[in-house]
Amino acid sequence: MDKKNIRVFFEKKDRAIYISHLDLLRTMQRALKRSGLPVWYSEGFNPRIYLNFPLALSLGTEGVREPMDMAIVEDVSFEEITEGLNSACPEGIRIVSAAYPVHPNKDIGFAEYETLFSGNTEALKAAVSGYISRESIKVMKHSKKKGMIEVDIKPHVNILSVSECENGIKVTLRLPAGNELNLNCAVFTESFLEYCNSCEVVAELCCAKRTNILCADGTSFE
Amino acid sequence: MENLREKIEKLLLKVKSPSRYIGGELNSVVKDKSKVDVRFAFCFPDAYDVGMSHIGMKILYSLKNARENWWCERVFAPWTDFEELMRENHIPLYGLESLDPIKDFDFIGFTVQYELCYTNILNMLDLAGLNVLAAERNENDPVVIAGGPCVCNPEPLCDFIDLFVIGEGEEVNIELMELYEEMKKSGEYTKKAFLLRAAGIKGIYVPSLYNVSYLEDGRIEKVVPVCDGVPEKVTKRIIKDLDKVFYPESFVVPFSEIVHDRAVVEVLRGCIRGCRFCQAGFIYRPFREKSTGTIVNEAKALCESTGYEELSLASLSTSDHSDIEEMLTEMTGYTEGERVNLALPSMRIDRFNKNLMEQLSKVRKSGLTFAPEAGTQRLRDVINKNIDEEEIMSACRTAFEGGYAGVKLYFMMGLPTETDEDIMGIADLAKRIADLYFNMKNRPRGQKLSISISCATFVPKPFTPFQFEPQISIDEINRRQKLLLDSTKGKRYINVSYHNFRISILEAALAKGDRRLGAVIKRAWERGCKFDGWDEMYRYDQWVNAFADTETDIDFYSHRAMEYDEVAPWDHLDYMIDKSFFVRENKKAKEGKVTKSCREACSGCGVNKASGRECFG
Repeated sequence: MDKKNIRVFFEKKDRAIYISHLDLLRTMQRALKRSGLPVWYSEGFNPRIYLNFPLALSLGTEGVREPMDMAIVEDVSFEEITEGLNSACPEGIRIVSAAYPVHPNKDIGFAEYETLFSGNTEALKAAVSGYISRESIKVMKHSKKKGMIEVDIKPHVNILSVSECENGIKVTLRLPAGNELNLNCAVFTESFLEYCNSCEVVAELCCAKRTNILCADGTSFE
Repeated sequence: MENLREKIEKLLLKVKSPSRYIGGELNSVVKDKSKVDVRFAFCFPDAYDVGMSHIGMKILYSLKNARENWWCERVFAPWTDFEELMRENHIPLYGLESLDPIKDFDFIGFTVQYELCYTNILNMLDLAGLNVLAAERNENDPVVIAGGPCVCNPEPLCDFIDLFVIGEGEEVNIELMELYEEMKKSGEYTKKAFLLRAAGIKGIYVPSLYNVSYLEDGRIEKVVPVCDGVPEKVTKRIIKDLDKVFYPESFVVPFSEIVHDRAVVEVLRGCIRGCRFCQAGFIYRPFREKSTGTIVNEAKALCESTGYEELSLASLSTSDHSDIEEMLTEMTGYTEGERVNLALPSMRIDRFNKNLMEQLSKVRKSGLTFAPEAGTQRLRDVINKNIDEEEIMSACRTAFEGGYAGVKLYFMMGLPTETDEDIMGIADLAKRIADLYFNMKNRPRGQKLSISISCATFVPKPFTPFQFEPQISIDEINRRQKLLLDSTKGKRYINVSYHNFRISILEAALAKGDRRLGAVIKRAWERGCKFDGWDEMYRYDQWVNAFADTETDIDFYSHRAMEYDEVAPWDHLDYMIDKSFFVRENKKAKEGKVTKSCREACSGCGVNKASGRECFG
């Protein structure tokens, strides 16, 4: 059988959120090795289990449905892949599903996040309104060519909902993702906390979670 | 109250490589603490990346956790960024499995692999919320123990440690913990009573039960037990049958990259060689091997449980295994099929051949490293390296023919009897290797020749024929390093690197030190010294101040020759090698006479008598 590309979706939570992107690659390679699945190895001088993550997840952010691409060289069912990998994954990482990839990586356009902030609910809600209704939202960003530069992220921050939750508020939002323009969720959370600080609202980030990855046309990345 | 885990998690995103501080790695052992009777905090006094690479910790971790009612956890020294946050937020040092403070454990055990981690031991005790001084700790505080190669001279650590485990740990650790469990259950336990009874276990050294007296000139007069029931000499423990000793079927697999990130099987213990500078070559005697079958089975189990893509066959000299060819054939039969890279870290030049090299480069080609240790044959004979130039050349030729265009060579500087000729000999040897390369018709094409010379400073160590030797002075080391650099000038294919010699001087003093160095170590730690083995962290000036503050002369320890009949700080510990053998070997070194390997002829070190087993046959 020729190699077949497979895309699995996994969740990354609890202590696994502290696994960096580079370490995740090694962690998954080892899990695949332990699983005994008939995976495809890259060719060349140092053959390695082929793995690719279409969109990196930053350290400290939970993932609900993170894609990982791999390839197999023998016929195995999607269930066998899911179960095989789950039996070998460390705590906090669980495979949700496996399928043939539908979209190429370049189709990725957005990602959706859920963030929880603790503090006074009313004050926090007002802060979100204040934060987003400004003319511009300036943040400092590291640029490869120019060093630290100031950019306006307001056109890119799309707040979907603000709701009350235990000890604070839940904010869901959509940010651009992919090769063209990628905005890390931490850029939003940090600038929001900074804003809270400037208007003397006590706030603390409790959790940041990527809930889905979308194509540029708004459909789910599959 | 906020639990410790929440407090820790709040800080993790502020530090480098946070997965080191939160546990949850594959194969880590988590137990229900309500069903556990004895809790052991296994501490490696260095960063996670270093400690997690250590094979002894993996063995003892699995061994202790095999008991249902014992729980052994891993603890490492937090890097300075996290330490600062821990102190600010009042987070005490905790075990990675339970995330509970180790102050509440029954045992805190340190493995002491090198002298430069001593200040980290103090720092970890302090971070745990304990007094660093054993005499100042309370009845209810954990029993603080230490083992590992450095405790062959544990004297500089006596102020801080309740008891030392001398020799190999697999059996004696169990006996010690059983005694503890029994005394706790019967209600007989007091720390004092426990230490006294522990001193009766073979291989346990309780320093507070010995008195040291000194001569007027500062040397030791004698070391005597303070009461009956305490042995005059503590003899190290060994495992008689290595083939049957416990070996873990799984390792904890870290998320972040560590120094030795691979599966490791220990193939043999001890060494047949007797290089006169090498402490490991003597303190781990007698030579014992695992059988090929055992090694292959252990390797398979480990690779399967960890998913590692690299396997290392570790020992002091893996190519000295009597069945090495067959073992490699069987091993590569497995590793090739599994696409696992096989690493043989300790290869002797004279055992390196085409067959070995081909086995090694079957899956992935890693670099080749040889250790001639000295630049001239005369000096190689003095240190009993038992390698001649033809063997070095032949190994390099094989490597070049096999497609390698680079070799790394390890040397030592400041060896006893060394002259300028020996230093320049290092450069000459590198040049002759280069000549060999350039004159070869079938040398690898399209690659540039690279000869890396890595030069350490000689450190005299206890339980070696060179234990009597002084280290050369800083000025002299400096001069010889310059000499080597000058002699390799203009040769772009030669690359010379050094160890920081200011670190080597401290290493010598701590290695050969006595109990009076405890005050110096404590002072250095108070002055902020930690991670002394890390170049960027080492504070030589603070160590100099610590010696001055305590009115201790570092030269007395590192630069003074010891008499053969002088009482050494470690003479009350018996590593099964006769002191008269070390004296004999020291004299032979001065005469430039070599001693054959144990397999060729018994050199009469005494280990066969002491251990009650023949080394061969």
